[in-house]
Amino acid sequence: MYIFHTSWVPDNPGYFDNSGRFIFWAETESKSKDKTPANTHAGTVFQKKQLQQFFIDEFPLKTTLVSVLNPQPSHFYIALPSQDDIPLPSPEMALITGEMIPEEFDWQSWKIFGLSLEKPLLFLREIRFLALHKTDQFRLGSDMQFWIDYARSFGEIVRRHQYIPSLRCYLEAPAKKTTQPKLKISTGWEPVATTYEQLIADFSSIMPLACVAVQEQMGDKENTDSPSLLDREQLLRHFSEQMLEMLIQNVDFTKKLQNQFDDNFFGRLINASQKWPCITSEQWRQWRSWKQGLLGQEKQNGFNLGIRLQQAEPSSPDAWLLRFFVESRQDPSLKLSLTDYWHPDCDKSAYKHFLDHDFEKNLLLGLGQAARICPLLWDGLESNRPVGLTLNMEAAFAFLKNDAGVLEDAGFKISLPSWWTPKGRRRAQIRTKASVHSTPGQEKSDGQFNLTSILQYDYQLSIGEQVVTEDEWELLVNAKSPLIHFRGEWMEIDKEQMESLLALWKKQQSADETVTLTDMLRQAAEADEQTQIYSFDDTLSEMLSRLRDNQRLQLLDTPQALNGDLREYQKRGLSWLVYLESLGLHPCLADDMGLGKTIQVIARLVQERAQSTESLAPTLLIAPTSVLGNWQKEIERFAGQLATVLHHGATRTQTPAQFKQDIAGKDVVITSFSLVRRDASLFNPIDWHRVVIDEAQNIKNPQSAQAKAIFRLNAKHRLAMTGTPIENRLMDMWSIFHFLNPGYLGTATQFKKTYETPIQRDSDTLRSTQLKKLITPFILRRLKTDKSIIKDLPDKIEQKVYCNLTQEQASLYQAVVDDIQVELAQAEGIQRKGLMLSTLMKLKQICNHPAQFLQDGSDFSTLRSHKLARVSEMVEEAITEGDSLLIFTQFTEIGAALEKHLRENYHYPVYYLHGGTARKRRELMIEQFQDEDAPASIFVLSLKAGGVGITLTRANHVFHFDRWWNPAVENQATDRAFRIGQTKTVFAHKMVALGTLEERIDQMLEEKQKLSESIIGNDESWLTELDNDAFRALIQLNKNTILEA
Amino acid sequence: MARKITRTWWGERFLDALQQRIDPGRLSRGRAYAGPNRMLDFCIEGKEIKAKIRGNINAYFGVHKEPKYKISIKLKTISQEKWKAIIKEIAGNAAWLSRLIMNEMPDNIQQAFAKHGVDLLPGNHAGDLITDCSCPDWSNPCKHIAGTYYKVASMLDRDPFLIFELRGMDKATLHQVLADSPLGKALLAQITQPDAIPMEYAQHRYTQPCYQNYQDITLKQFWHMPAPPLPETSASSPLVSAALIRKQGDYPPFWDLDHSFVEVMEEVYERISVKNKAIL
Repeated sequence: MYIFHTSWVPDNPGYFDNSGRFIFWAETESKSKDKTPANTHAGTVFQKKQLQQFFIDEFPLKTTLVSVLNPQPSHFYIALPSQDDIPLPSPEMALITGEMIPEEFDWQSWKIFGLSLEKPLLFLREIRFLALHKTDQFRLGSDMQFWIDYARSFGEIVRRHQYIPSLRCYLEAPAKKTTQPKLKISTGWEPVATTYEQLIADFSSIMPLACVAVQEQMGDKENTDSPSLLDREQLLRHFSEQMLEMLIQNVDFTKKLQNQFDDNFFGRLINASQKWPCITSEQWRQWRSWKQGLLGQEKQNGFNLGIRLQQAEPSSPDAWLLRFFVESRQDPSLKLSLTDYWHPDCDKSAYKHFLDHDFEKNLLLGLGQAARICPLLWDGLESNRPVGLTLNMEAAFAFLKNDAGVLEDAGFKISLPSWWTPKGRRRAQIRTKASVHSTPGQEKSDGQFNLTSILQYDYQLSIGEQVVTEDEWELLVNAKSPLIHFRGEWMEIDKEQMESLLALWKKQQSADETVTLTDMLRQAAEADEQTQIYSFDDTLSEMLSRLRDNQRLQLLDTPQALNGDLREYQKRGLSWLVYLESLGLHPCLADDMGLGKTIQVIARLVQERAQSTESLAPTLLIAPTSVLGNWQKEIERFAGQLATVLHHGATRTQTPAQFKQDIAGKDVVITSFSLVRRDASLFNPIDWHRVVIDEAQNIKNPQSAQAKAIFRLNAKHRLAMTGTPIENRLMDMWSIFHFLNPGYLGTATQFKKTYETPIQRDSDTLRSTQLKKLITPFILRRLKTDKSIIKDLPDKIEQKVYCNLTQEQASLYQAVVDDIQVELAQAEGIQRKGLMLSTLMKLKQICNHPAQFLQDGSDFSTLRSHKLARVSEMVEEAITEGDSLLIFTQFTEIGAALEKHLRENYHYPVYYLHGGTARKRRELMIEQFQDEDAPASIFVLSLKAGGVGITLTRANHVFHFDRWWNPAVENQATDRAFRIGQTKTVFAHKMVALGTLEERIDQMLEEKQKLSESIIGNDESWLTELDNDAFRALIQLNKNTILEA
Repeated sequence: MARKITRTWWGERFLDALQQRIDPGRLSRGRAYAGPNRMLDFCIEGKEIKAKIRGNINAYFGVHKEPKYKISIKLKTISQEKWKAIIKEIAGNAAWLSRLIMNEMPDNIQQAFAKHGVDLLPGNHAGDLITDCSCPDWSNPCKHIAGTYYKVASMLDRDPFLIFELRGMDKATLHQVLADSPLGKALLAQITQPDAIPMEYAQHRYTQPCYQNYQDITLKQFWHMPAPPLPETSASSPLVSAALIRKQGDYPPFWDLDHSFVEVMEEVYERISVKNKAIL
């Protein structure tokens, strides 16, 4: 794993041409086997070949691009925080290695080898796209991220031509001491004006200091307390100025354009090869004065000059007024029209902070500048007290269309009538009214929309909110003037657009269209808001508002047949599921982890079966292997009357005929993703009543055999569940929708072209809004932070997560159980208690992971323990959502193994606190974990160590990997993440291995909670009070619950 | 395109006005004599224009050594009374004032003069110009005088008040009348104390970053980058080409060519943007 960095290194400070280099370098996890050159940062890649390899392997950039960038080996120096003569890793690298960053460090100068790149802006642009996709090979350092972000914003400056040709004077040192230094003036370009200055200010304040720690030469050898860093603003300017010139140097200008410069010295800007006359100091002064005039309006005055356009009355359409005014820079709400200013009675006291000595001079200059940009303004200046001028309609229109924008861009304040602004503008549009079409002969419906309803469209021409007849429309189209006073307001007539809309409308009128609901949803979402508006009849309006706001749904109550209570929001979830399916739409339930998707789906299954008069075909439930046991257990718990079949394991049914028999009369068939693919021949022939996919992100790759197998299933209803935020992986969404509502999002290629690429690569906000509109009706996603949810949630929610044992675990478990049978019968007193406790300990370890029990250094893999697999999945979900979490375990081996596993396989920030952790380090870990600016992290700790005085309130989730069978102790642990009076809910997930003592003790604890707590005390010794029979029953293994990996 | 001696139409207008009474053919012969090759000396003393021009050897006229001819031109003056009225006229027009303040001659300034029965530019009436040249050519104007006319024309481009002074405007009168109106005062302030531009010498082409000593830097400060400001989406605001440079108008003083500076720069900017589309 590499961390990539880029540094901008200023060179040649002693020369006039003080250029810089843009250097790419890579931090590496493993130290190189070759000997590191002296003073070099050993944690970086310094071999040229390896560095160049990144461009081909990691990025990968097209070869033409790579040759343009021309990576050349280069080196520079950087001051880094170090300790014991070793530089500290960047935080991104420390995340990977799990290294703890010490509190104390000093500063040392280090040599870094890298590659210099010739076109930094181009590189940063290309790399931006790649940075969006997380990879397992590299991450970007914050310095590189900074340059990427800056380059993007700087591009705007160039795009908007916010730069000017410039001249720089310098004195060239004379050849002989006796002669005078020679004045030289060179041409160039420089970025200027408010936008650029604001950009510099904004970005230099957020620049990480690592960017300015660069040095051209080796710094002080001795360790120092404070480094010499470059000034951030200056570095940023240095970079920007050079980048601008670099961009322009590479432009080839046509001969024709070059000739336009004749022999004016600025011609050198676009043709460096020709000889140009020397520039005189007089010319420099002229240029300088010109530059000052350009920017002067921005710096010196306390006011901005503005122009207001007042609309004409319809009775005198050629009387549009332009009025000059001035606006205070300090307080833009303070405006003064020139009409008032010239008036002898004007009270100028309120404005005196900008009506200073130079006011009239600056006013004169400003008016002249404005008139130069917009020559029609000269007419308004033909008096010694200019106030403005009158325009006829054509001139007013030209002003609105062209001059206003130019003037505004040049820094003048322009005030236009509201109907011209984007918000106030009335647009010519086609209104499409969708309504429910009742077929003749159909019984009078109750106005409800249902599956059989067909929609029809009714098209109307409209302007703004109002419907317009065809005649009126044609009248407008044929009007001579570009502005029309129509129904009380002025508006612009875009003749061409209106003609094409008219043609479109005529076409739509003649076509005979019947539309389905999904068609309508899609068309409405994809419509160009400017020209097409959709409206709906009452029935459809009601339906859409229910879809949009699930609060409006008719709230169903907890189904009677459900053995449990639904929370308010869960009832709403159920109602939403029912409603959507009644419309023939297939839903995706995407609630946050812990909010109870499982119970809502179970409630739906219960409810539909209770309601249905006929018997329904089974529902196929597909879930990851690690959750299969949990589903079975939960269905058993909440809906014991539903008959379930678990299709898994070596002994499962293999023939279609047998399979059909096995599932006949059953309600739910549960299987895993891989088996749907492998046993496709069994699943395909069945007409399922419903297919439910849990953790739907498992079919995110539509090309995978697994996904394809699922697409092929037949089912009347389809339902997807997922907890991961969909917004981050749009292509995943396509796949899920392909399962739920095929065709709705078009083909995969169309989707990529229309949505994925524009949104992810070009940050196209229009497209992302459209996509959101498209998918919103089908997805219900509530976050635990939603205000409407919070009031339904208690402060703490406890959840049992059931997992099965693997075969390996089962064998080990059984062996232990068998082993003690004889001893247990014989032992007595203290010895007996000791035996029981040690057995419990062993069994616990097995339920965790075979490697812990065996202590043989074997692989801590998720394949060997479903508990580990499930915890890993849930951790991944939480972290992806930005939630921090705690994991409690009794065992130091598990703690250490978990830390390693999560860090190495997922690269999450993990902190592991145990008895042996030094106090200082412990405090540092807690501080870092609690830091709101730090990314979502994991804190692994033991119940004992997590005891006194630790606050880890940043965590939203608490996992109990293994249980301490004493509720008081466990709750205390959970409370580490809980603080009285906080607004968030903490979710406690307790892992329980099915069919083992964990399950049974858990049950016992549930029952005992109803009795007094004094029976249990504050440790686990209460378990040793059981008699032998009870104990045997407790530890017995239920072979039915074993699940293969 | 051919490079003219004069830059904007003020120079042209001056020459045009002269051609009311002067043969254009004769005038154009002077063109060659306005350049540094021929014009050895040129100065303006008060209301008189003086020049020294290198002439040709001409055996026919008995000129055997390369001669240096002395030229003197005086323009007919406008009376102080009239000037007072004319300046008052000018001071009452913000459009004219705003051009003058930028050292530009307003196009239609002749209106202020016409109102009081005079022409700003000489040439219409006999006696408008009194010229003298020490060369033996009796034609009027001779090449040398014509050359001097061209030189004067080129100077008019840059200093509108020059022609006013040559036609006898008194600085005191100018100050007095301008001081009377608020905007006039502004112009007065500008011409009496023009913003002096001191020379600026740069050590480096680009802003040179300097080292500073920072104290007590935390690791967070060193590595952490807070969220950057959101970039403006390109779709949002319309683009105006060469927006900045338009403000100072066309024909900045350092642009000594006849065609539009703004138009040329517009093309330059467009080209730069197009060629760098991949990055922007």
